[in-house]
Amino acid sequence: MTESQPLHRFTSASRYILDEELAKIVNVSMALELPLLLKGEPGTGKTRLAHAIAESLGMPLIILNVKSSMKLVEALYQYDTLTRLNDSRFADSSRDVSCIEDYIRMGKIGQAFTADQRVVLLIDEIDKADTDFQDDMLDVLDQMQFDIMEIDKTVTARHRPVVIITSNAKKDLSDPFLGRCNFHHIAFPEADMMTRIVAVHFPDLDQQLIEACLSAFYRLRELEGVEKKPATRELLNWLRALVVDPDVEAANLTTGQLPYLGILFKKSADLEMAQAQAPA
Amino acid sequence: MFRPFFYALRDRGIMVSPTAFLRLQRALAMGLVQSLDDLYTVARTVLVKSERDFDAYDQLFAEHFAEAVHSAEDSVDLDQELRDQIEKWLKKPKKPDASVEPGAEQSERLSPEELEQYFSDRLNDQKEEHHGGRKWIGTGGVSPVGHSGQRPGGMRIGGISRNRSAMQVALERRYRDYSRGATLTRGQVGEALKRLRHLMPSGPRDDLNIDSTIYQTMRNGGEIELVFDRRLADRLKVILLIDNGGWSMEAHVPTVQALFNHARDQFQNLDIHYFHNTIHERVWNDPERVHHPIPFTQLLARDPQSRLIIVGDASMAPEELLHAGPSFTLRRVSSQAGIERLQALARAYRHTVWLNPLSPSLWPYGQTINMINKIFPMFSLSLDGLEQAVHHLMHS
Repeated sequence: MTESQPLHRFTSASRYILDEELAKIVNVSMALELPLLLKGEPGTGKTRLAHAIAESLGMPLIILNVKSSMKLVEALYQYDTLTRLNDSRFADSSRDVSCIEDYIRMGKIGQAFTADQRVVLLIDEIDKADTDFQDDMLDVLDQMQFDIMEIDKTVTARHRPVVIITSNAKKDLSDPFLGRCNFHHIAFPEADMMTRIVAVHFPDLDQQLIEACLSAFYRLRELEGVEKKPATRELLNWLRALVVDPDVEAANLTTGQLPYLGILFKKSADLEMAQAQAPA
Repeated sequence: MFRPFFYALRDRGIMVSPTAFLRLQRALAMGLVQSLDDLYTVARTVLVKSERDFDAYDQLFAEHFAEAVHSAEDSVDLDQELRDQIEKWLKKPKKPDASVEPGAEQSERLSPEELEQYFSDRLNDQKEEHHGGRKWIGTGGVSPVGHSGQRPGGMRIGGISRNRSAMQVALERRYRDYSRGATLTRGQVGEALKRLRHLMPSGPRDDLNIDSTIYQTMRNGGEIELVFDRRLADRLKVILLIDNGGWSMEAHVPTVQALFNHARDQFQNLDIHYFHNTIHERVWNDPERVHHPIPFTQLLARDPQSRLIIVGDASMAPEELLHAGPSFTLRRVSSQAGIERLQALARAYRHTVWLNPLSPSLWPYGQTINMINKIFPMFSLSLDGLEQAVHHLMHS
């Protein structure tokens, strides 16, 4: 990167442990002005990354939670016909019924384009939407503009947002979609990395307890036949429960006494399997 | 240097688009790449769009840019089984053991050759995991091999190093498990099988199609014409037959079980049966193949539109497949040769595939594999194979 470029660089945020490779990828994507597509199993911190970038760069974060039935236009803007009908019938609002623009509401992408400052736009779980949504959305993000048909107006981004897109890989994304993104796959954190993540959330926790928990956690992730493996979020919640229970001691955990397994395993079949396989 | 890399990637099946390649050039021009490490990360981010290609990318990167670094960086080429074993030992890292005084060996740095020798010696005599200490492969401690220890100039195995070079990273093959040819893991199975889902309109026409209603109403000059559709429903019927006997299938049975469990949620009509080697006069509903036999004739008599998926290594003594009558190896009298029954199945069902857990490179050497391959389209039990199989089932 040339010195003259006044580009903020993403480093790390207070509650997010970042590996160097990922930081580089985020910075390259920002410099190339490309959306960054993040894949990885749940609990690898894809969504958290967007929060961390926003925090680190001091930008507002706008989150578009993608739903399966979602139409792209909902993410861009909505024409609030109901309010307009209401206003025209009762005529008691400050809005001008003859001005359709008064009834246009920006969706999440619209908000990101019209914001006063550069924002981080997180498009969460893109794989839930259908292919048309994905491709149309990338056109919009490519051109950084969209049309509002009702008022024949084009909205152009005032500041190009930093776009982070996440996918749980439920569906394959189309080639045109992938072609317009940078891509990274976040692997599940190894024990070393996880220790650092835990330390950020529980700075005062007894080191022995953390070690006992982590070793139990990774052992439980390896259990045969478990469908939904516990992830980082479950681990942190589990630790939270263990911390408040005065009866929990590291020594007990290492001998295989594992309380509150229900926090780690959300599916009852998994829980049963874990209880059966973990030594009582 | 970069253009051959681009074509090498494409030759390896990583469909790097020219746009992406130009984008990499732009990144280079912008000064985003200052080192080989940067190149590794930036090029992968820009060029490679699936974690399944990461492993191939790593290998190509290492091959291609190896000249740029010293060849001494080559990692020891470990046998996979050995690697798994070692990874297991290293899974539970311990902090450096303060009780072990760094001895004289701390100061003596081993040459790469010595290090490799040391490592393979330890592999020969080490039988269990070790933490701390000064000799064995393990975590903590001051032995020259392992991780989370304190031995300068040692060989790191497993764990995370703070300062890996791009070449080391590339050679690590940390994405091997994601690669296209890798054997399926549970998580991937569900993803791949979801594509088997086939929504077809069925049931009463009670779903109002608003778009067509508006269009038809306009065509009618404003006279309202309501258009109703049938609801979309999953009508796909699937018959899964799994070979759950024999050593070469053993390792794959849990994965295939997971395949079944995932698939169960997806179809209303899913029949799972078990067999051993090939299909004779019955298959079983219970994995033990004891309690709930289903006669072969019944297996033939299902809806011909059903998708028939057979999972097995297709490997057996040729006579078991070819001969009717009493079998020498099994207490079984068969009125019909196995191969005839398989042919009958292939005639009864239009959409059939055989998934084979054995590596496709081995198929030409198996006599019975060849015979069965002629009856059923055979795909490997890998993510790619499953995808091809699903595609075949939906479009054949």
